[in-house]
Amino acid sequence: MELLTVKDLSFTYPKTDAPALENISFSLKQGGFYLLCGYTGCGKTTLLRLLKPELAPFGALSGSIRYAPEFGDPPAPHEIGMVTQDPNEQIVTDKVWHELAFGLENMGLEQETIRVRTGETASYFGLAEKFGASTEALSGGEKQLLSLAAAVITAPKLLLLDEPTSQLDPITAMNFLDTLKRVNRDFGITVFLAEHRLEEVFSLADTVLAMDNGRLIACDTPSKVCEQLKDSRLFMGFPSAARLWKALDAPAPCPVNVREGKALLQNSVKSKTGDGSLSQPAKVDGSLPPPALSAKGLWFRYTKDGPDVLKDLSLTLRHGEIFSILGANGVGKTTLLQTLSGVRRPYHGKVRLFDKNITDYKRGALYRNGLSLLPQDPKTVFIKDTVRQDLVEILRAGGMKKEEAAEKAAAAADTYGVAPLLDRNPLDLSGGERQKCAIVKLLLTEPRVILLDEPTKGLDAYSKFRLAALLRQLAGEGRAVLCVTHDIEFAALISDACALLFDGVLLAAGEPHAFFTGNTFYTTAAARMASGLVPGAIFVDEIAAAVRT
Amino acid sequence: MKAFSRLHPLPLFTYFIIMLLFSMFLRNPVIVALSLLGGGAFAATLTDKREKLSDLKFYIPLSLLITVTNPLYSHNGRTPLFFVNGNAFTLEAIEYGVFIAAMIIAVLLWSKSYSKIVTSDKFLYLFGRAAPKTALILSVALRYVPILKRQAEKTRAAQKTLGLYSTGSIADNVVSGAKVYSSLVGWSIENAVETGRHMRSRGWGRGKRTCFSVFRFRASDGVFLGFTLLAAVLLGLSASRGLLAFSFYPTPTPLPVTALPVAAYICFGALAFLPFLIETEENIRWNCLRSKI
Repeated sequence: MELLTVKDLSFTYPKTDAPALENISFSLKQGGFYLLCGYTGCGKTTLLRLLKPELAPFGALSGSIRYAPEFGDPPAPHEIGMVTQDPNEQIVTDKVWHELAFGLENMGLEQETIRVRTGETASYFGLAEKFGASTEALSGGEKQLLSLAAAVITAPKLLLLDEPTSQLDPITAMNFLDTLKRVNRDFGITVFLAEHRLEEVFSLADTVLAMDNGRLIACDTPSKVCEQLKDSRLFMGFPSAARLWKALDAPAPCPVNVREGKALLQNSVKSKTGDGSLSQPAKVDGSLPPPALSAKGLWFRYTKDGPDVLKDLSLTLRHGEIFSILGANGVGKTTLLQTLSGVRRPYHGKVRLFDKNITDYKRGALYRNGLSLLPQDPKTVFIKDTVRQDLVEILRAGGMKKEEAAEKAAAAADTYGVAPLLDRNPLDLSGGERQKCAIVKLLLTEPRVILLDEPTKGLDAYSKFRLAALLRQLAGEGRAVLCVTHDIEFAALISDACALLFDGVLLAAGEPHAFFTGNTFYTTAAARMASGLVPGAIFVDEIAAAVRT
Repeated sequence: MKAFSRLHPLPLFTYFIIMLLFSMFLRNPVIVALSLLGGGAFAATLTDKREKLSDLKFYIPLSLLITVTNPLYSHNGRTPLFFVNGNAFTLEAIEYGVFIAAMIIAVLLWSKSYSKIVTSDKFLYLFGRAAPKTALILSVALRYVPILKRQAEKTRAAQKTLGLYSTGSIADNVVSGAKVYSSLVGWSIENAVETGRHMRSRGWGRGKRTCFSVFRFRASDGVFLGFTLLAAVLLGLSASRGLLAFSFYPTPTPLPVTALPVAAYICFGALAFLPFLIETEENIRWNCLRSKI
């Protein structure tokens, strides 16, 4: 049964020439799990919002969106649930129970009905213990689960989700997606999910729709879509198994998860005569550059009687090195960065920048030509109305004259490719653009040590590669980069060394290949496919190269 | 903070209002003393050791200050103790000072317990029926307070590690505070507009809506409310007949000890100690249960 039919849909925002959507046609069937993929700015959000009448943007629309008659005319709000990426803007009330009840109250249901429905829904989504809690006391993952529960509670026919996991760490994100799959399976609610982090969701979906530049370029089963799009620029964000399939030039069907990828690799390795082991990259000998930032025996806790977050933690970061620290949520990654950057003080231990304790840098000298921290939420980096004003301000704060600052800001924007964004409001930029402008602002303080907190949060594959290239460029200039992240693939890609933060100390610090092949869970999807077959490989290219030789 | 706060918001709110009004307006030393003791005993069950200590550090100097300042301004009374600049420092004025101090501390203690027990959601539940839209807007707004606070904190830290306003001087702190604040205005407007759209997308503003609450009115709530109102009426009657009248000047009037005022005192005492007794009863019951295990 067709639930929704979109025909020749085009949409143009006011005051723009290029259409945001062009000739989109597809239909959604009752009970399906649809994945909409594409890079930031390709029109995913516009399409989703057009399907939800109350959130539809203003602009010129042609073509048609037809809903099945059960939706009502116009479709009733409670028949279409929506979950977006920012939990702060979609949670309305201050208590969990009230948030769950909100949609039902608006439907005018009776007290007793609401009592039963909120109760059972809270139990189903594992929110029973938080029923009386205030919504602000929830973690990011719990907030997204609450938003999902609040959308499902009105028993909608269609659920629209716009990158619901982009602000979550991988484990919490998986938990959310599993719950979503369960909702789809248990209640037959049709799911239409827009995502750009595709490693795990590809195998959850029945049908994948791919968009690029406002056009629908593919709509088929996951494995068929991979086959159709293997030469598209979208492909670099596709699951590792699919990329391996392309690199090996294997026949269809294309694998879309680690299990299928591993089976494919097994066949390929068997059919070759070689032993399949990877040729180790030659070790570069020579003296190490001097340390830029070092910490010795750091102990930190938030309250006098609280638990220790950092326990005798030591680390050394050298000039020109990119060091990544991985770890689960709440393990103290952000705390570590704040301690290293002087925002928080350890109760034991010392942090040295170059050859001085950071406490000896007086009156902000630490942050001039010293170290800079890029916080998790790049929105907090900007406090002016345009990017240009923000850049000029930071230069002026360094004692530069107005004209000189304006010139230097423009020059820096040119160098790092953000010149077209200079006169935009920082809040209007996309996640990747904002991230980049934030890094440029940070670079204007001429830091020699750069600390990054979850730099890939919310970025699509394309922006991630650009960020990786930028970080490599910065390291090439001799700056030291310390990056804490959940993003295993990204850490593997950029780092000279990786470590796992656990229980207040850094474990298993080492070169990425040594680090990731030593881990079973905390490793890249490519390494999981390669384990036992191509020892030592952590990237798709490496596996492919090893199999080919 | 378990047994008593489980009561329905209506009896809770009524109780606190009655206690506050009577403590303030029944100007009778016995009533104030009972209110102070009952309020103190109850507040003690709600606070931990550290908070108790910091409370004492605040209340004791405050009461001393009030006691001492009253005779400095008020020179009424018949028993001068000594003279300062030709003005009498009277015993009655000191006594009145003690009385005022006790009353203020009692009111503070009850207000403290009120804020811990009648939380915003209970208040909204009570007044939400009269103005459901206002109540919902309040609920939305209440959520923004912690969000804004956290965003401000994050923005300030971000600016600091970028080397802006990081010298720690007062001027820098003021400037950074102002800038962070102004940037947050834009941020919160953006957020509020989006929240409004999400409210509509979830069916807000479509005809009649109901108002759900998690509270139930049980029999025990009825008993408690009934007792509170009964005591309030008795005390109100006694007061209106002047049975509880008391004055400090020129000399303190003798305390009435006839049957009716004494009954009123007992009544008020029971009311004032009720929350404490409810808490203690629950604690004892728990201890008994635990010792059986």
